[in-house]
Amino acid sequence: MVYLATCRENCSIRSISEATGISSGYLEQLMIPLRRAGLVQAERGVQGGYRLAKADITCKEVLAASEGDFEPAPCKNCTRTDACKTHQIWSLLQSAVVDFSSQVTIQELASHLVESEAGGGI
Amino acid sequence: MKISTRGRYGLRLLVDIAEHANEGPIALTVVAKRQDLSEKYLQQVALLLTRGGFLTSVKGSGGGYMLGLSSEEIMIYDVLDLLEGNIAFEEPPGSEENAIERVIRLHFYQKLDQEVKKVFEGLSLCEVTKAQWFTYVI
Repeated sequence: MVYLATCRENCSIRSISEATGISSGYLEQLMIPLRRAGLVQAERGVQGGYRLAKADITCKEVLAASEGDFEPAPCKNCTRTDACKTHQIWSLLQSAVVDFSSQVTIQELASHLVESEAGGGI
Repeated sequence: MKISTRGRYGLRLLVDIAEHANEGPIALTVVAKRQDLSEKYLQQVALLLTRGGFLTSVKGSGGGYMLGLSSEEIMIYDVLDLLEGNIAFEEPPGSEENAIERVIRLHFYQKLDQEVKKVFEGLSLCEVTKAQWFTYVI
């Protein structure tokens, strides 16, 4: 997603694979939930490929689409939740992670990439 | 990052012992029953927590476990760090880390870890057992 944010045109799986080091086969699999979540768009044809479906995509959206909602502990179906004081710790951890990852956008991460590129960092 | 069974049970053990601190040493059989956890597993976790100084064991009849420090001194972050080994999202860079991986590690996972640390900093076992501490945080 960070690589896609640096591209102005559609990106082929091959070019994404070269830039990220992720195998083409695995990228194809990763794209399925990202497309379903409306985060990437795919276009067929000679100029086809993938691109971000919208601006200001957050890390939280990407992680939720790929890995599901962040749950540090399996409290969902636990009957002790109300009385369990450690449950509050997991809720606190969960909201810290969700809040922070909702604030960081893919675009912002991509801008660091461009900066390091400009400085010869790549 | 998922908190392992060891981390979750270990904290429940500490909370239980802290809440019944006025009853003297507490046998793990009692905690296992109260918390509906396996006693065998609690023994392993208790051993770790004792080594870490968070619990002390009292031998003999009427023996059991007590907090090794006061509940104000036991920091949740330290307990989790001990039980989980490491509670960071950031993973050490591989030998062939590329520019994208580096940016995500430094500007997302590393900062996320700082954020998590900030949230837990100063959170003691004592505050957790008081129960209402979280309502003003969330």
